[in-house]
Amino acid sequence: MPLTSSQMKTLYANMVRARRFDEKIVQGIADGKTVSFFHSGLGEEAVGVGGCAFLRPDDYVWFHHRGHGIAHILSKGGSPQGFVAEHFGKATGACNGMAGFHYVDPEHGLLGFSGTIGSAFPVSLGWGVAAKMGNRGQVVVCFFGDGASNRGTLHEAMNMASVMKLPIVWVCENNLYAQFMPLKDAFASEDIASLAIPYGMPSKIVDGQDVVAVHEAVQWAVERARAGEGPSLVECKTYRFRAHSEGAPDVSHFELRPPDEVEAWKKRDPLLLFRERLLQEEIATVGELDRIDADAAEEADAAERFAIESPQPDPSVLQEMLYAR
Amino acid sequence: MREIPYRIAMQEALIEEMSRDEKVFVVGEDVQAGTFGVTSTLVQRFGPGRVIDTPLSETAVAGTALGAAMTGYRPVADFMFADFIFIAGNEVLVNAAKWRFAHGGKVNLPLVYMAAMGGGARNGPEHSMSPESLIMHTPGLKLAVPSTPYDAKGLLKTAIRDNNPVVFFYHKRLLGLRGPVPDEEYTVPFGVADVKREGTDVTVVATALQVQHALRVAEEVKERVSVEVIDPRTLEPLDIDAIVRSVEKTGRLVVADEDTERCGVAAEIITQVMERAFDALDAPPKRVCAANLPIPGGFIEASVLPQPAGILAAIEAVTGRALKV
Repeated sequence: MPLTSSQMKTLYANMVRARRFDEKIVQGIADGKTVSFFHSGLGEEAVGVGGCAFLRPDDYVWFHHRGHGIAHILSKGGSPQGFVAEHFGKATGACNGMAGFHYVDPEHGLLGFSGTIGSAFPVSLGWGVAAKMGNRGQVVVCFFGDGASNRGTLHEAMNMASVMKLPIVWVCENNLYAQFMPLKDAFASEDIASLAIPYGMPSKIVDGQDVVAVHEAVQWAVERARAGEGPSLVECKTYRFRAHSEGAPDVSHFELRPPDEVEAWKKRDPLLLFRERLLQEEIATVGELDRIDADAAEEADAAERFAIESPQPDPSVLQEMLYAR
Repeated sequence: MREIPYRIAMQEALIEEMSRDEKVFVVGEDVQAGTFGVTSTLVQRFGPGRVIDTPLSETAVAGTALGAAMTGYRPVADFMFADFIFIAGNEVLVNAAKWRFAHGGKVNLPLVYMAAMGGGARNGPEHSMSPESLIMHTPGLKLAVPSTPYDAKGLLKTAIRDNNPVVFFYHKRLLGLRGPVPDEEYTVPFGVADVKREGTDVTVVATALQVQHALRVAEEVKERVSVEVIDPRTLEPLDIDAIVRSVEKTGRLVVADEDTERCGVAAEIITQVMERAFDALDAPPKRVCAANLPIPGGFIEASVLPQPAGILAAIEAVTGRALKV
């Protein structure tokens, strides 16, 4: 079903919001407010936004470390206040200030995160087993980077998910680099999507800078999963605008990423591309989009203020966090 | 009271808990047949949807339990050999152990990771380990190590009902051990040590198979020395109070455990006793553990694993009495 103009505007708003919040955490590093590290997702907003928009609240999403999942979290209905506060180390953070950069919101199908790359696959597999057992049409959307595709856990989970026909959508956010390692030196094939063949599932490769294209591809896979047809793989070709993490060198191996490559991708900024499209197709006016931009900036400012004003966690909570009663 | 083997006691625990709570399921490699006869017969009773045979993929087994537990199921995942937990080290030690804590207590992981520990079958270095200290060392995991059929059943039922990740090591050489198990339902609480034999001259704290060794030695030397045998039953939580009480009575301590001596369970227990009750000790405590070597296969295995003769020698050392029969 084609997206309504209201849904198109939601996609735009979520991309703008993701960008503003990402920028807040980047700035927080410079200001000494972000307490941990940060892996900016600037340039890759279309993947998380297009892939997570219009899922059911009880669908499970594994966001990944790019942008620490902000594009996915916002689109799934998670609160950005908890996101910022967690990054500022505060007790009001999504994880009560216990993780520094993880996010959790069970009511919106965001059951947590692991920073060890490749953890995505076995955990998503478990969600898929649960979704199938529950038999309520839930799906799992598991986002992972091109670097994670190098992990053996991918094989174990994708294989078993296909054997069991689990309702899982595997979405590769391929930005061509795993920290400093270029994909061409780390993956033996041209496309991550080629992995669909050995695991007997269908796949699609899409322009990860086109939020609608991402949405349509993921939606196709979601519908298959809900219908009991098993897992699918969607590869989104994208690029990060900043270095792997704030403060890290922006390199391929040990030399700067090629400037013409960086410039070419920056011209394909997913926000600008989509803004142009909305105006060109007369889905939104400049005024409407400017208002969305202003609201997003205000929302990010408010969340930042909330985080700054929040208290740090009290060490007395440490023991009670470890075990459930 | 009727007497049944240890493995059947565990099987009864699984049957009772799966009947009691439809959220309980079993997953692992060849759990339908049951490599050690523990999970055998379950599939005939509960069907393949709740007794899931997986591909040969330990991270997938661990992840299935991990993910499903987050959504409210109570999985029991079997790794077959305890050595195989290392393959899923990230899932067990990093993800499962830390998940609740790192996510501010917002997601619980009510799961059991079960595996056969121990040597004595001459299976060599990769199928004979008792990696208890690795689990005990990792905050966030509970650890049960039953030594009798009664404890095996009662502790496994408690493990399944616990709202936290529990590692449950059953000992290969105890699988056929018969012992009294009541017909009526019961559970064994975590963190409550059991005095397996009362004595006044020396405290032997022993785990799993070593409990049976210690009881045999205590019986052999009963005319010359009165040995108290204490089985902690769970190493996390650890009932250190019961151990200290016994040492305050006997003044002498031996700890027998099958894990490697260096940085092992015995080292931890002895340290805690010395911190709490140094003045109660009349002699330096002794450890009886696996030597600081890999466990060899074949006949030479016995030279590395702790034996009853080692417990006897340790009792002689701490009491200063010659006991050789």
